[in-house]
Amino acid sequence: MGYVRGLRCRECGAEYPPAQRIVCDACFGPLEVAYEIDAVREAFRREALATRSADLWRYRELLPVFDESSKVDLRPGFTPLRRAGNLAEALGLRDVWVKDDTVNPTYSFKDRPVAVAIAKAREWNLAAVGCASTGNLAAATAAAAAKARLPCYVFAPASLEPGKLLLPRIYGATVVPIDGTYDEANRVALLAADRRGWGFVNINLRPYYAEGSKTLLFETWEQLGFDLPDVIVTPLGSGLLLTSLEKGIRELRELGELSGDETRLVGTQASGCAPIVRGFEAPDGRLRPVKRPETIAESLAIGDPGSGSEAIQAMRTTHGFADAPSDAEILEGQRLLAQTEGVFAEPAGGTTVATLRRAREDGRIDRSERVVLLVTGNGLKAPGVWRETFPPLTPVPPTPAAVDAFLGGTGDG
Amino acid sequence: MVKLVLASPIAVATQGEREIDLEFEGTLAQLFEVVSGRYGRQFHQRIFDGDGRLKRFVNVYVNGEDARYIKGLETPIPRDATVDLLPAIAGGWGVP
Repeated sequence: MGYVRGLRCRECGAEYPPAQRIVCDACFGPLEVAYEIDAVREAFRREALATRSADLWRYRELLPVFDESSKVDLRPGFTPLRRAGNLAEALGLRDVWVKDDTVNPTYSFKDRPVAVAIAKAREWNLAAVGCASTGNLAAATAAAAAKARLPCYVFAPASLEPGKLLLPRIYGATVVPIDGTYDEANRVALLAADRRGWGFVNINLRPYYAEGSKTLLFETWEQLGFDLPDVIVTPLGSGLLLTSLEKGIRELRELGELSGDETRLVGTQASGCAPIVRGFEAPDGRLRPVKRPETIAESLAIGDPGSGSEAIQAMRTTHGFADAPSDAEILEGQRLLAQTEGVFAEPAGGTTVATLRRAREDGRIDRSERVVLLVTGNGLKAPGVWRETFPPLTPVPPTPAAVDAFLGGTGDG
Repeated sequence: MVKLVLASPIAVATQGEREIDLEFEGTLAQLFEVVSGRYGRQFHQRIFDGDGRLKRFVNVYVNGEDARYIKGLETPIPRDATVDLLPAIAGGWGVP
């Protein structure tokens, strides 16, 4: 079983063997993977990490895959951590970095959790895999399933950007286009997987799936010279990514790898779908589900987020905060990131930039702090949001005179 | 006939039964009392917290509609309804 001790309930602490189990029998709370930390400490050494493959498996002691041959070799992870000096200057900050997950195999961070979940599906010889998706997970699951030679079923809102419904089909998956919201797709996906014994990565493989996401935290730590920033800003969909980041921080701390101040985790959602942010702001800290999400950030349009409560807790314990910019601010954030750093993010990435700007302006983030933005998906997947800002171009005739007219001058000074 | 469907992780509360047919008409709270009568007090203890509220880890759908968006535990259950009990990975009960 490698370094895995078992599954542990985040709510009541009950432990179970590391089998295909998603919630605690005693209280139905969510489960997370627990490791034999003393054994991990022996092998998880900084000098050893430097010699390993440039993908997420370099952190293998803290990933719950037992059978090496079950891994699908699309090599997600170890994406660039870019120093964002131009963006920092534009926002009046000193030290900003962009963790650029737009360059993963299917252009979003979802390749990370899927890598672990598909490996588990192969270890358990499941007949098929799938997911419920707002778009990015669909492509990631379908691509990994293609490589693993497993049938794949993707449940997604039929209203998604056409490209997000097309990609999984190109990879060979069956797309089930649900006439409803993500939450409705998720509900019927859960029932379909449960009845058929299929492995749906973000549903009945969820405790293992979550582990892949925390590699974003490990990479940030390694790429900053084995140090974590003061603040990490991350988009919130289901809340599982932020929850996984907090788990990664906990594990590094247990290993004795972290010293000094703690990292504040900041979560951001669009104001048109902010169930976690509104829950964070409420005194009772309970989610505020949204029945009909209304936002251009459709990869974050989850009205009833499955890990939202855990994300609220993680933001509170790390003394972070939650924020919800408007769609206009999100678009401006995308544009700013593209035009200062050359990184084209989907709206979720614009959401992190927008929150950074808002938090810098109202003092929630100080000028002196080192900030890492998680840019989790590629802008080419959601081109539709730009139709109004960048209307179609009018062709210019191929003559010098027409070019001069277009540019508004002859170039002769 | 009301059909109660439990996802397998929740079916531990009904001794593994995942589909239960019941002659019933009333509210959701009354339905749970009837099921508690059949499967014992432990069903109630697993589904509700100490304050008598549904645990936030359990979601209830009546004919596909999240009961929170209807009337919560006072949601009327017609005699031919399908009621799904799912773990909260399809979301969680946020508001009391």
